[in-house]
Amino acid sequence: MDAEQLLTYIYTCLPEPPVSDTARLAARRAAPYHDVDRISGLSDALLHDIVSRLPFKDAARTAVLATRWRRVWLSAPLVVVDNHLLDHWPPTRADAPAVTAAVSRALAAHPGPFRCVHLVSSHMDGYPAQLKRWLRLLAAKGVQELVLVNRPCPRQVPLPGTLFRIGTLTRLYVGVWKFPDVACLGDASFPNLRELGIFSVAMEKGDIKAVVARSPVLEILNIQGSVKGLGLHLISQSLRCVQICDSVMENIVVVDTPRLERLILYKVRGSLNPASVLRTGIKIGNAPKLEMLGYLEPGKYVLQAGDTIIMPGMKPSASTMFTSVTILSLNVRFGVHDDANMVATFLKCFPNASSLHIRCEQCDESTGKFEPKFWEEVGPIVSVMLRIGVMTIREFRGEEGEMAFLKYFFTNARALKYAAMIFPNPSFSSISKNYACSKANYLTSLNWATQGCGFMVYGSSDPEGGRPWCFKTGAEFSRDPFSW
Amino acid sequence: MATREAGKKMIMLKSPDGMEFEVEEAVAMESQTIRKMIEDDCADTAILIPNINSKILSRVIEYCNKHVPTTGATGAAASDTVAPAALAEDLKIWDAEFIKVNRATRFDLIQAASYLNIKGLLDLTSQTTIDTISDNSLEEIRSFLSTKNDYLPEEEQTIRRENQWAFQ
Repeated sequence: MDAEQLLTYIYTCLPEPPVSDTARLAARRAAPYHDVDRISGLSDALLHDIVSRLPFKDAARTAVLATRWRRVWLSAPLVVVDNHLLDHWPPTRADAPAVTAAVSRALAAHPGPFRCVHLVSSHMDGYPAQLKRWLRLLAAKGVQELVLVNRPCPRQVPLPGTLFRIGTLTRLYVGVWKFPDVACLGDASFPNLRELGIFSVAMEKGDIKAVVARSPVLEILNIQGSVKGLGLHLISQSLRCVQICDSVMENIVVVDTPRLERLILYKVRGSLNPASVLRTGIKIGNAPKLEMLGYLEPGKYVLQAGDTIIMPGMKPSASTMFTSVTILSLNVRFGVHDDANMVATFLKCFPNASSLHIRCEQCDESTGKFEPKFWEEVGPIVSVMLRIGVMTIREFRGEEGEMAFLKYFFTNARALKYAAMIFPNPSFSSISKNYACSKANYLTSLNWATQGCGFMVYGSSDPEGGRPWCFKTGAEFSRDPFSW
Repeated sequence: MATREAGKKMIMLKSPDGMEFEVEEAVAMESQTIRKMIEDDCADTAILIPNINSKILSRVIEYCNKHVPTTGATGAAASDTVAPAALAEDLKIWDAEFIKVNRATRFDLIQAASYLNIKGLLDLTSQTTIDTISDNSLEEIRSFLSTKNDYLPEEEQTIRRENQWAFQ
């Protein structure tokens, strides 16, 4: 990803601000009006509500209407979204002076509270003093939701430690910075912080752990683009959802997270070098509520239950089973024997998985040594035979290894209610409709273990190489994010 | 309470000009204010809505009727059978038609939505005022909202200077 692509992706991952200016752009002029107007009859509370829904520049203009409006403006919880200051997108370096100046004045002019502040449009490398001042003002005026994304080049502009002084935060997203030195943390804490997103931020060992330890109600932790190969140790009484994407991690150790429900990893690697054999260690300690885990990658991760490493082909025992997990997703090269062997072992270690989602990865020539008899000899697996009701397989190409697995699966899955086979986007692959149909026909002609199962086959509309991970869906607790 | 169909409780709403509206309880309860009255058992026979005339009240009921989560003949929620996205899109179009009223009616609707505490209707009606403020110059907004400028000239200059950034 180049810088602009990366930013575009980060913007899609950020929470939506509660005020939008799209209505304004679409609005038309009303016809001239001659009725007696009644807005002066509206209560302060109603005006207050109206002003707090305005883009902040428009809200500030109302202060000049009349004394009453100024009073209302001063007491309305403000929403500051800096891209509302621009009439074009993306912003350029030339926009920075005007945008930073307007933000500085807005933050100074209003007494707070700031309900929500999104500052994503400026190249902040030229404005370290302003940045520091903004954070001081935001701390003093009690901002609740803060989104701070720098425009890159240079990438690693240091974020001032003042960030740690904003104790009122309920939601914090930072993007494309160098993380503040956690030595500045001192006795600071985030007693209200529920959601934390850290995107393409350069961090040091222990940074996340230190912040998490000071956030007693933190539920959602989203990390993207952490590429230093750090280890992440999770200890939290409140965390429910952890998502890590496009990152290089030495290990992820779930030490003690009694409330953790979701651990989602997407393109997490052991090394920046794709040819490296370094794997990411994933160790699950105390996580009794963990119900969703994925994408596990047989060739890229070393999964560990407590102190026991899950080895391919090992016989599962009570200590190597993850009984709380009901939704499991895997990223697999079925053509590689070691991967296939590990898939069988994983399925044995998750005896209560009721939904299985698979992404197929193509294998290189060099690693493609497939053993055709493997799935025929694998024997019964509890989750496949008795539990799995939903199975999806994406980026499916109908290759030999994939077909062998599906044959095993469909002839054994007795509880299956719904299955979907999704071929890669036809615009980017050479797979023809006829080829897809022949594969599907072969599979449906098998002797399925279940009757009346819904079965769908289609080509995906995802971009080449699959869709980037959607953090928002991943943190929606009512949804299965792997099934989109 | 009157009962029209088996299983559907009806509520009588009265406007101050003497009109009576019989509506399903579920529809009336789109209003958090009425919901509270019903839940507190203060709604035996009819509920008088003191400050909303029949013309506005009938529009409000029309809105609530459209927005109440509907149940079909089988009792299954309609949202189970119709795709939620299509349903939302349909509602959006309906809302856009609904709000095509003159400004006096709109402000009456804002007040009614606020008094009756119907969030969706308040959002819808306020948005027009928001668009007005966003779209026009100060003088236009003043005339549009019939707001009298009560600043002394020098006061207005000071405030304008303070908020100058918002006029650039």
